[in-house]
Amino acid sequence: MNSPFEPVLDGLTRQRGVRASLIVSEKDGLVVDSKVRFGEQGDRLAALAASIFRKARLSARAAHLGAVSFLQLDAERGRICAVRRDDLVLVVVADAAANVGLIRVELLKALEQIQ
Amino acid sequence: MIISTAEPWIEAPLRRYVDDARARMALLLHPSGQVLAQAGFTRAVDVASACALAAAAFATAGELGRQLEGRAFGGMHHAGIEKQFYLAHAHTARGAFICFTVFDSESSLGLVRMYFGDLCTELAATAPRLESPRQPMLAVDFESELNANLNALFGGGRSAVGGGGTTGERSRPEQ
Repeated sequence: MNSPFEPVLDGLTRQRGVRASLIVSEKDGLVVDSKVRFGEQGDRLAALAASIFRKARLSARAAHLGAVSFLQLDAERGRICAVRRDDLVLVVVADAAANVGLIRVELLKALEQIQ
Repeated sequence: MIISTAEPWIEAPLRRYVDDARARMALLLHPSGQVLAQAGFTRAVDVASACALAAAAFATAGELGRQLEGRAFGGMHHAGIEKQFYLAHAHTARGAFICFTVFDSESSLGLVRMYFGDLCTELAATAPRLESPRQPMLAVDFESELNANLNALFGGGRSAVGGGGTTGERSRPEQ
């Protein structure tokens, strides 16, 4: 069955260095839809990314910083970028050398397409 | 968090699971409902009742699964207003166990499921093998088992209870 999120995820996964793109429920940490390269663990990524995003959102709120518009986590062997609309978190996992600026633009564009 | 276990090899994996998944409470039990380990249970929740209910719910879901698609469902999740639970089984060299995990908004189903996978791997790796399979405790064996255990506990060769009240008892075959 084709998901309504497929074009959004396809667009993100086409970016250079992107290893996985997922739409995750922030509340449950479960995958709604995903495009994951072979070897990546979609369920694990989804659960952790949703948890990180939720913590970041609550922290920003507690610090009176307002809503989180973009979250980026840089690690030794890759990076996670995430944005949110309602309960859905759009997550991209990319190589450490990937262009974050481009990924950010694509993520924000993709967010517009998620209703 | 207070953790108590009937078998010591369970403690470290269960502690890690509860900490990582930020679960409120967790129970590891035999499919018959007998508790093997508990973490975070307070007096407000009766462990024995929780175990019996969890075992019954898991057995019911398993049977529904068998009727619907020919095999038992592997996991079960229910969400309340504040608390949720996840019920799933883990296989080890000592047989299958059921894990009953209670969590709230500090965690999520995704996280609990993810760390439960890790718990299963750890339990399977650390579980010591059973030297002989356990026999079920039957009513006909109960008195002889009880006498044997009381003798072992309180000593000597004399029977501690009932003297000769062993009519109808059946000895279990030696393993």
